[in-house]
Amino acid sequence: MLNIWRISWRNITHNKKRFFFTLFAIILGTSFITAMLVADRTTRDVFNYYTDMYVANADYWVLSDKHTYPEKMIEPVQDDPDVTNMLLVLQKQAFFELEDDHSLSQRSVRIIGVSDQNSPLLVLPVIEGSLDNKGVILPKTVATLLGKKVGDTVRFEGLGEAKVSAIVEYTQLLASPSDWDSAESTSFRVLVPLDMLREWTGKHDEISYMRFQVNGDGKDLFHSLQQQFRGSGVFIQPVVADDLQNNDISGLYTFFYIVAGLSMLVSGFIVFNTIYTSVIERKKEFAIMKSFGYTQRSVSKLVLIEIVLLSLIGTAIGVPLGIWLGDLFMQELLSMLQFDIVYTLNWRLPAIMAVTVGVLFPVLFSLFPIYHAGRTSILLTLKMASQSKGSSRPLLIRAVVGLVLLCFVFIDHSVTYAAVLAGVILLFPLLLAGLSRIIKPVLNFLFHYAGSLAAKSLFQQINRNANTAAILGIGISVILLLGAVVESAPEGYEQEIRNTYGGDMRLTSEAPWSTEDITKLRSYDGVLGVEPLMEATPITWETVDGVSRQFSVFAVSEDGPALFADQHEEKLYNRLKQQNAVLLGERAFDEWGGEIGQSIRMNTPNGEQSYEVVGVVKTSHYSGYVAFMDEERLKEEFGWTKGFDLLLTVDNEAASSIRDRVWSDFRDHLSKVQTVEDEIESTTSTISGMNELILMLLFMIIGLASIGTANTLLMNTLERVPEIGTMRALGFTKQQVRNMIIAEGLLVGLSGVIGGIAAGLILIYVTSQSELMDGFMSFKLPYSNMIMAVISGVVLSLCAAWMASQSASKIDIQSSLKEG
Amino acid sequence: MIKVSNLTKEFLQGQERTRVLKGVDLNIKKGEFVAIMGPSGSGKSTLLQLMGGLDVPTAGDIQIDGKYLNKMSEKERTIFRRQKLGFVFQNYQLLPTLTVEENIAFPLHADGKLTKEKNRVIQELIQAVGLEGLHRKRANLLSGGQQQRVAIARALVNSPTVLLADEPTGNLDRANAEEILRLLTVFHRENRQTIVMVTHDIFAAGFADRIILFRDGGIDQVVSREEGDYAKYLANFMA
Repeated sequence: MLNIWRISWRNITHNKKRFFFTLFAIILGTSFITAMLVADRTTRDVFNYYTDMYVANADYWVLSDKHTYPEKMIEPVQDDPDVTNMLLVLQKQAFFELEDDHSLSQRSVRIIGVSDQNSPLLVLPVIEGSLDNKGVILPKTVATLLGKKVGDTVRFEGLGEAKVSAIVEYTQLLASPSDWDSAESTSFRVLVPLDMLREWTGKHDEISYMRFQVNGDGKDLFHSLQQQFRGSGVFIQPVVADDLQNNDISGLYTFFYIVAGLSMLVSGFIVFNTIYTSVIERKKEFAIMKSFGYTQRSVSKLVLIEIVLLSLIGTAIGVPLGIWLGDLFMQELLSMLQFDIVYTLNWRLPAIMAVTVGVLFPVLFSLFPIYHAGRTSILLTLKMASQSKGSSRPLLIRAVVGLVLLCFVFIDHSVTYAAVLAGVILLFPLLLAGLSRIIKPVLNFLFHYAGSLAAKSLFQQINRNANTAAILGIGISVILLLGAVVESAPEGYEQEIRNTYGGDMRLTSEAPWSTEDITKLRSYDGVLGVEPLMEATPITWETVDGVSRQFSVFAVSEDGPALFADQHEEKLYNRLKQQNAVLLGERAFDEWGGEIGQSIRMNTPNGEQSYEVVGVVKTSHYSGYVAFMDEERLKEEFGWTKGFDLLLTVDNEAASSIRDRVWSDFRDHLSKVQTVEDEIESTTSTISGMNELILMLLFMIIGLASIGTANTLLMNTLERVPEIGTMRALGFTKQQVRNMIIAEGLLVGLSGVIGGIAAGLILIYVTSQSELMDGFMSFKLPYSNMIMAVISGVVLSLCAAWMASQSASKIDIQSSLKEG
Repeated sequence: MIKVSNLTKEFLQGQERTRVLKGVDLNIKKGEFVAIMGPSGSGKSTLLQLMGGLDVPTAGDIQIDGKYLNKMSEKERTIFRRQKLGFVFQNYQLLPTLTVEENIAFPLHADGKLTKEKNRVIQELIQAVGLEGLHRKRANLLSGGQQQRVAIARALVNSPTVLLADEPTGNLDRANAEEILRLLTVFHRENRQTIVMVTHDIFAAGFADRIILFRDGGIDQVVSREEGDYAKYLANFMA
């Protein structure tokens, strides 16, 4: 009995080179998809892991709107039988005492005193030492920067000293700068026993906050404490695993999916091209099979099995390769995000998903050829009547539809992107034809007559060649758009930060700023203005779907600093003066999921309250994951009475000296000094790092598309064996044949690159003009990516053509003449 | 003009060596029209391919115009082919993407020697083969007879030393075949063009000055028009 799998194997490996290229395309496509899925899952895991680690097993926490509050306030919690675990925390801003010369801001450190370092409400992954509740715990980055080991002594200026008892991995609780430059604007964080810190500070009965775990949901206790604490400045909040204020990485996930989608599209198209050509070549074979009783279904099934076999082999190689690539990608990504993060590669689920996609996408892209194979007509095929003469009409229709789709550039809608890409694909035959005419003299100069012949030969399979160029073009255009977004984003962010930061320098203190402090600051040379800033945090709230989240609520007033930007600011300030009104930043609004006019539920220091969302605004604060309330309403209705921040407007030249003086003058309670430039730098540096990834991606996609070019040129060559044999018989040298194929590859590659850059520029223009983007991106030519696209597109296409040209030059003259 | 000495050609088929030509000796004079006939597998096409430099012999020599083809490199043979030889194939072997004019000009283009003078020659050839008005038509849109006429013009465009025709009438009906043979005869008589034609068709062979009968890898019989029994031989063969 015939083994259909064995027959399929023989069929797919009949043409070794084509088999290799097709398999290679599936392997690369599947591996890129796997890598992106692995990166997606691992990134999510990493951020979830650190958020969960921060939350630990705590259910609620009791905080205050002051820096500290008396421990006796939490007696009701301590006495409640349902409370299973508690962690008391006192925080104190201080300075390291170092032998090296560093500024006060660089030496600033937040000392976190905890009642039990081994508490289940605290997760500290120990690298070295032990959590003995006796010494200081340093995160690895800080230990490395300070050159401290377990047992070494760490001194805190004016407080005391302690031995290092443990060095731990990165945790959000101890997030610290990893170099002295970033230490300029961010404090270090270290952990000490609570008793030790109390002794150092003399705050024996004070705590900054406490966390606790309860049996059951603890709702009764929560509501009762809400009532008890009302008006005291102390308040209770549920502990919520929500770190969106600190991590705006949703764009990263979109990036992963775009890359995976592009990879699938490019390699799927290569598979389509190969299988379709193979089906056309084997029409006679199918006709004979049908004449012996094979049905349409059985012929289609045979082709389907061949593709499934190819997909299985491609997936079996591509998925492990993709997991490895995903690991490399994660290393690059996390180093770019500047976190000293340890991650565990999440590959199992992505691998299962990738296997499914890897097997399915080649089949999906081959559905038409599979159907076409089954539809083979016995009579027409055996008479060779199906070889109809080509008509230029479909090309004309294609071009017209392409032009119509391009007109979508004038419509400001997300569908425009798909329409432009589809339009460009349809216009590629026109582009290829035009380009081959325009550069014919260049081809003649470079390749002599072989160049002219190449331009003519491309017309034999104009659709296939144009589609091959199109797939390269689409890859380039999408990456150029991504690159332009990445290049432009820092400018957009910078503009947004400057517009909504509210000043030039933000001072954060442990204690509320006094009038004397403000007067003193106003007297500084270079200080042009001082405005108080009130930020209520953390405030928990519920999305429309009932999911708990947390963010900050800022107090705003018409004559205060501008913390958000909107065309109708005045109107919004007036709306905020109404009772229970709140404005949401864009990201908070999206996550909330409601409509303007609906109410959002928040746990305020005054208990659970509902606020009407009166508008959505743009703001740079926490990337828009915030809310704004009228200053007076925040104090009265909301119950937040203290402000710990000041926004200074300063003369730029004096900024540095002001920073030093502030640290010196307010060292006993100042906890953070951040300039608008620091904020811009920390926001944009990560995005700028993305450019390297974009270039890597560009190269990957062009490389994959070049496999398609090699495959197409190889198919073109195989179809023209008699023709090439004739040329050789009539005196064309092997080199001339090679030149002809290389010139064809150059034309395909060049048109892909030119079309891709043109399409990319259209997409960039559309994005920059779009009101949906609200001027976030300016129209700017992404020169470096364009140059990279031209060089890699042309070079890789030439490499692909060179491979095909080797096959063409080896064609045996006699047997090829017999075929003809 | 063409001197073939002790020509041997072997092919490897699987593990087995097959000797297709077994020490053939043959001389063809300048301006001669020779037809090579014989049954399938007798080696006649292989001989033509070796004479055309499309393949190399296992042993023996092929001399055309004093030059040993078997001693040339692959590239030298290619250049020799385009400069000194013309080919006409059974299935025309025109390049489908090129027009009639471009197909004819192909060997000149390949050699980089398309001049104004040569352009005039191309136009004359188009006229001579009766394809006026079709010069800008794509080759694959012509009838079989027309395509073969283009192939003859292409074979002659570089004024070859030898025109090698492999079954030039094999795919044509009698009327078209006669027309093609008439054309070959005209070029042979008017330009003293040396022609070597492989054919199965005794009618086609009848146009040649000499018929070489091939059998089992060697020459079996040679009949010349100058010999008195040529007409009688043809009549017998046809009978």
